[in-house]
Amino acid sequence: MPLVIFVDDSETALASTRMVTNSMPIEVKQYTEAQVALAEIKAGMTPDLIITDLNMPVMNGFEFLKELRAVPATKRTPTLMLTTETKPELKQQGKALGLTGWIVKPFNPAQLKQAISRVLRLPA
Amino acid sequence: MMMLESIDELLSHIKDVQLDVIELSSESLMKMSAFMEKNGLEIDEDISTALQYQDIITQQLNATIEAIESMKQSIDMFSHAFKSDEGLAQQSIVKLQEKLQVTLKEAKEKKSRFSGKHSAEHADDEIEFF
Repeated sequence: MPLVIFVDDSETALASTRMVTNSMPIEVKQYTEAQVALAEIKAGMTPDLIITDLNMPVMNGFEFLKELRAVPATKRTPTLMLTTETKPELKQQGKALGLTGWIVKPFNPAQLKQAISRVLRLPA
Repeated sequence: MMMLESIDELLSHIKDVQLDVIELSSESLMKMSAFMEKNGLEIDEDISTALQYQDIITQQLNATIEAIESMKQSIDMFSHAFKSDEGLAQQSIVKLQEKLQVTLKEAKEKKSRFSGKHSAEHADDEIEFF
């Protein structure tokens, strides 16, 4: 099964995504700290999709994305930003850093499922 | 000066209450989501949105806590200037007002930034792929 990792400092945000994805044919790992997820990726974890929050303490979503793109295994891994931020300039910044897409919270469960299925090319 | 000390204490109290609200709202929703997961309940759009509002509440309150800390710092600097030289007080009060205005501007900007789709103008936004 494809591995999807979620990174969000909010436990309730992670619970929301978990309840949406638990019926999907995917393996899910969740992290409240981007640096912890990054350490596991550097140690050999190879996610098929990364979904991350933007505003997080210690390492924010953009810093995480930059680090991901510097690791050969995740240089091209599809990455979605899941955030409360709606500013077009931030979306542009994410796009320039190689982001795959932008999801504004609160997300619609059906749309999140569709987005994950689309990126992973899961059967409808 | 007594007035400033009272304002400082009041700000500290508001900050403490907000931190409690963040913790309680998170605990409340984590218990609800744990119950739903344990019983295999499917969440619909409304429940999903309700769960995600907690994240928005936390970010909004954290932004106002940052504003409170900035206000407290500005008031503290003014108090020190006032105590060391009353002649500086007039200049310092102008600087204090300027700093409070900057804090207010930043806090309002964060309110807008951290609202997500809760703000009506983005209510129909869909997932955007690049």
